[in-house]
Amino acid sequence: MNKEFLEKYNKNTHIIGRTVSLITLVLLVGAPFVIGNVIGASPNLVAVVKGFASVGLIWTVSSVVEFLVYTPMLGAGGGYLAFITGNLINMKIPCAMNAKDMAGTKSGTTENEIISTLSIASSSLTTIVILALGVLLLVPLQPILQSPALQPAFSNVVPALFGAMAYQYFRKDIKLAMVPLILMSVFFILVPALISQTSIMIIPSGAITIGLAYLIFKKKGKEE
Amino acid sequence: MTEILNSPFLYGICGGIILFVAVVCLVFMIRAYRAGIAAGMDKGMLKRTITSSITFTILPSVGILLGVIALSGSLGTPWPWLRLSVIGALHYETQVAQAASEQVGLKTLSMSEMTPEAFSTIALLMSICIMWGMILSFFFNKMYLKKLNGKPDKNPDEPKRKGFGDTAMVAMFVGLVSAYIGSYIGGFVSGEGSFTFKGDLTPIIVSLVSALVMAIFTYFAEKKHMVWLESFSIAGSMLVGMIVAVLM
Repeated sequence: MNKEFLEKYNKNTHIIGRTVSLITLVLLVGAPFVIGNVIGASPNLVAVVKGFASVGLIWTVSSVVEFLVYTPMLGAGGGYLAFITGNLINMKIPCAMNAKDMAGTKSGTTENEIISTLSIASSSLTTIVILALGVLLLVPLQPILQSPALQPAFSNVVPALFGAMAYQYFRKDIKLAMVPLILMSVFFILVPALISQTSIMIIPSGAITIGLAYLIFKKKGKEE
Repeated sequence: MTEILNSPFLYGICGGIILFVAVVCLVFMIRAYRAGIAAGMDKGMLKRTITSSITFTILPSVGILLGVIALSGSLGTPWPWLRLSVIGALHYETQVAQAASEQVGLKTLSMSEMTPEAFSTIALLMSICIMWGMILSFFFNKMYLKKLNGKPDKNPDEPKRKGFGDTAMVAMFVGLVSAYIGSYIGGFVSGEGSFTFKGDLTPIIVSLVSALVMAIFTYFAEKKHMVWLESFSIAGSMLVGMIVAVLM
């Protein structure tokens, strides 16, 4: 094994990983400002702050958990790449774990670092190519997608998502789920003016559910 | 607005960022392959890792493409293409876009209501909300891995005892979904006046249909061992729900 080469490889992985993470971050956050400048309206920063306070905090916690759990599995190179390219839970993690099982490597080893990086990079490139081809094919379909007949479909993207997610999450503890669902339904029936600000209600709804889940968790712990 | 959000300029800016990330992936891939050879790893195994990862990814990527189609009617094609190619995930992007649209006063996340300010605001919130993984990697990846490697007894592959963290995450999402489904019920019952039951019923039906389709996907994935269906479950359920909205 070329030890000197591998030491240099590991050191450079962090340098490259940090550099490209920073560049990607600047590109992704900068793009809305550039686009806004060209289309004639900059982002409404007050709305961004309010929106972040409602949903952003949830995703921030989720990101911290993902970072702590997945980084040891993926290693340095795989970790940097996975957090740049996204789709972690639904694709990158299972893909890297599959490759790792096939290769029979253990987390924390150089071999695993290499397999994980190869796997995440190949997976990301595949997604990029398939989506680029798909978008190319979508261009001629634009007039159909934008026809008035199809607009009810696109106006209901969010209910469609939450229906699918409701099944996914409610089935984990249906009794627990009924409490916030009933509470929120009653609340919006009584205060319909707040329907247009639903995202703000995520915080109390989430807090009540977490509180109840904690009580159940403690009770189960005592029974065991 | 449709022309603006599907303009060559937007394709150019989004395509440029995607191209940059593609080059980054290629660089990491070549470096890892060379390091594997230097580490004395079997060339065949390295190639198998690449081919198995490509084949593993094809089906989920088609599912993600369906997500681009689902969002293209609200945000145009280039921006969802960028978000789902590079950093995001369908469920996350839609939720954040909805939250941002509420803050800029849109009733629904749709192209018919979209304004330039609404779009740039939505795009920025989508970028900000999911940047934390990259930021944490930037600051802590090296330190975290170094710390873990100093503790050889801990094996990250072994399943840990289930703590409250997992339960809290599920509870958080149950609360989030409940708030939205509750708003659809509230909208139907009192949206056009208290207890008039004359509000819009479509979101409730769409949610129910999506949940039902999700249940069918889950049944086949879990009971009939068709695990590959999981890649299409969210996007597939959403698309069926959206089709029902057209038929109503």
